[in-house]
Amino acid sequence: MEQRPGPPAVYDVEPALWRGPGAAGRYWDLLLNLVGRALKLRYKRSLLGFGWTMLNPLLTMVIFTLVFSRLFSQVENYPLYVIIGLLAYNLFSTGSSQGLASVAEAGALLRKVGVPKAIFPLAAVSANLVNFLLSLIPLFFLMLFLGAPPRAAVAWVPLGVLLLFMFTLGTALVLTTLNVFFRDVRYLYEAGLLAWFYATPVFYPIGIVPEKQRIFIELNPLVPVIETFRAPLYGGVAPSARSVIGALAAATVALSLGIILFKRYERRFIDYI
Amino acid sequence: MVSLREYAIARIKGRRPAAKTIWPLVGVSFQIEPGETFAIIGRNGAGKTTLLKVIAGIVSPTMGEVVVRGRVAPLLELGAGFEPELTGRENVYLYGSLLGFRNRYLASRLDRIARFAELEDYLDVPLKNYSAGMVARLAFAIATDDMPDILLVDEVLSVGDAKFQEKCRQRIEEFRRRGTSILLVSHDMELVNGLSRRALLLEEGRQVALGPAGEVTRRYLDRSPPRALPES
Repeated sequence: MEQRPGPPAVYDVEPALWRGPGAAGRYWDLLLNLVGRALKLRYKRSLLGFGWTMLNPLLTMVIFTLVFSRLFSQVENYPLYVIIGLLAYNLFSTGSSQGLASVAEAGALLRKVGVPKAIFPLAAVSANLVNFLLSLIPLFFLMLFLGAPPRAAVAWVPLGVLLLFMFTLGTALVLTTLNVFFRDVRYLYEAGLLAWFYATPVFYPIGIVPEKQRIFIELNPLVPVIETFRAPLYGGVAPSARSVIGALAAATVALSLGIILFKRYERRFIDYI
Repeated sequence: MVSLREYAIARIKGRRPAAKTIWPLVGVSFQIEPGETFAIIGRNGAGKTTLLKVIAGIVSPTMGEVVVRGRVAPLLELGAGFEPELTGRENVYLYGSLLGFRNRYLASRLDRIARFAELEDYLDVPLKNYSAGMVARLAFAIATDDMPDILLVDEVLSVGDAKFQEKCRQRIEEFRRRGTSILLVSHDMELVNGLSRRALLLEEGRQVALGPAGEVTRRYLDRSPPRALPES
């Protein structure tokens, strides 16, 4: 038979991304188009468009600097510390909450076309990743402006981004699976995210956390993930082995857990969305 | 070309404690040859659309097996996945890739799709400014641009005006001539008899009759006589 574009020649169940590289490759263009849609819709009729991705953390940075720079005077170049942390944290928080909502939002669509369900959280997180990567360009100029030009340690940045992406996607897969069955998850997570933000050294240095509460920092998987990304940009040094190992573990565990859970329950989604 | 063997779908409704299992389709088994036009008939809620969705890979069977050989074009829920804020052109890619086409392929077919949909001049207009008919035409043009091996048609063609419907009918007829297998769901027994050699009758998710279209449609009409008109 002649080679045709389109879905597989033989299949017996629902399409899934897990069916190996061939299956994933077939849905690559769909992923691109879904990411494109998310980005186009986000900046539709917004004058500054993409600029907001950077402006938003910039404004927050200014506020945090005005409020806290005196308090955290031991932190050298506090604005830079805050903005790098915020960019990473925003990728995680926006990516995971949009990923969380993605499957339930695509509900109507999933009842009508046969596409792998995992493509929706993947597209949601990927759209945020694209945004995040674009915002690294203005960050570069900001670093020059703040008198801390990037050093050789930036070679670590790709690893930091990869682990951040994996951790975010894994979290999104876990949450979106739960959210299909219990819609409360979405609201709980919104509140949880706020708590998580304050429990993570994004705008304050790890050093100020009292010994007694250190345990919360130690157990917080987001801490090493953000540190691995921040260290090479902020301090211009390689991230500590402790951060890298912690981030590797957090990203691997989150993503594996997410894939296992999602895979296990995706066939039942259709009855709940 | 399509062979369905002993398959069933379970669907669990209700909450845990008093969980009640409803089987929308059970014990359905049939096989379709390449190039055959096959009709699925039955009353509303008999499971016809669910059966097409199983074949299209939208719903997965809890038990049993569906084997599909070839590319399926499901003409159910045309236009699901269209994004009103995006232009017609952008939607060709979005919807096309939801149907499994690659972007490069869609780019090469864009003109043909627009011409068939009669929307050449509106490709860069956001879909929300299209009329319902224009949206339906675009969806049909994308979904049927490439000849599929298997075409799933639910309650035929209420796409656009009479002239466009005729165009759709011609395109499906051409696929049929060139060897596409067609699974047709319809309430129109004349159409079923006219188009298909064999038919399947479903009743509450059960396979009641399978065989020559004439016999099966007669059986259907006997079992569910046309309801008396309500008294006015």
